[in-house]
Amino acid sequence: MLTEQLRAQLGREVVYTAPEEIGRAAIRYFAQAIGAVDPAYTSGDDPIAPPTMICETNQYANLPADADGYPGHGWHLDVPGARLVRGGNAYEFHQPARASDVLTVTWRLESVTERVTGGGTPMLVVLSTATYRNQRAELLAVNTETLIYLGGGA
Amino acid sequence: MTAVGERLPELRRTITLPDMIAYAGATWDWHRLHYDPDYLAGRGLTRPVVDGQLFGALLAELVRGWAGPGAVLTRLHLRFAALVFAGETIAATGEVVEVDGDTVVLTLKVTVADDGRVAVHPAGATVVLVAP
Repeated sequence: MLTEQLRAQLGREVVYTAPEEIGRAAIRYFAQAIGAVDPAYTSGDDPIAPPTMICETNQYANLPADADGYPGHGWHLDVPGARLVRGGNAYEFHQPARASDVLTVTWRLESVTERVTGGGTPMLVVLSTATYRNQRAELLAVNTETLIYLGGGA
Repeated sequence: MTAVGERLPELRRTITLPDMIAYAGATWDWHRLHYDPDYLAGRGLTRPVVDGQLFGALLAELVRGWAGPGAVLTRLHLRFAALVFAGETIAATGEVVEVDGDTVVLTLKVTVADDGRVAVHPAGATVVLVAP
């Protein structure tokens, strides 16, 4: 599954800068959607966002939705016959994002590894990092994301 | 005084389709997997799939709710083990596994309350507590 074409993409970086600040309304909407009641998300001049919000929203990417309806970052790797599933996320939080922050997010394709599941299905494990900074270049968070391409018609 | 073995109060939530639509809107993520019956049928699925990243948000709230105001969540990791579908009830749980001064390491888990299957595991977090 791991072709030279895929290998050649290692180290690729894409940088997105949000077209606007995160915004109080976006934070309140996210907090409401996850059932969070912490007043820190809605009070004061410049409320903080729930920790994972900036790693979950596609607001900053400002991309059109793809055929699946997804308007976020993707590497669009060509893995014929494979099914893409989410593996997991590891987040480091350095300081809370605030309503007035304008995000710049740097995605980097860190590694692509060929493995076999316990059931014998071949898979490609794609590891990416996203680094989130605000308009003052202050580090807010790092998100290490694992995506899995399951092969063999799984 | 926080000690190894302390369990966090469980966070239980039924995730309805309107909840999922709100989450999709709030995250600018309109992937058809989360609401489109025709798209789902084409993939052998009968019910909309809950966005796995929601569980990261719920685990962060579980930890912050237990740790209290002023505590700082510094790390959170989670691995998706099974799909969760619209209408199912999940239980997010946690336990203290390490205490080093103000820094506490937790192990976390999300299970589906309806049938006990594990949706998120392994998972864990690091939080820095503040003195009361």
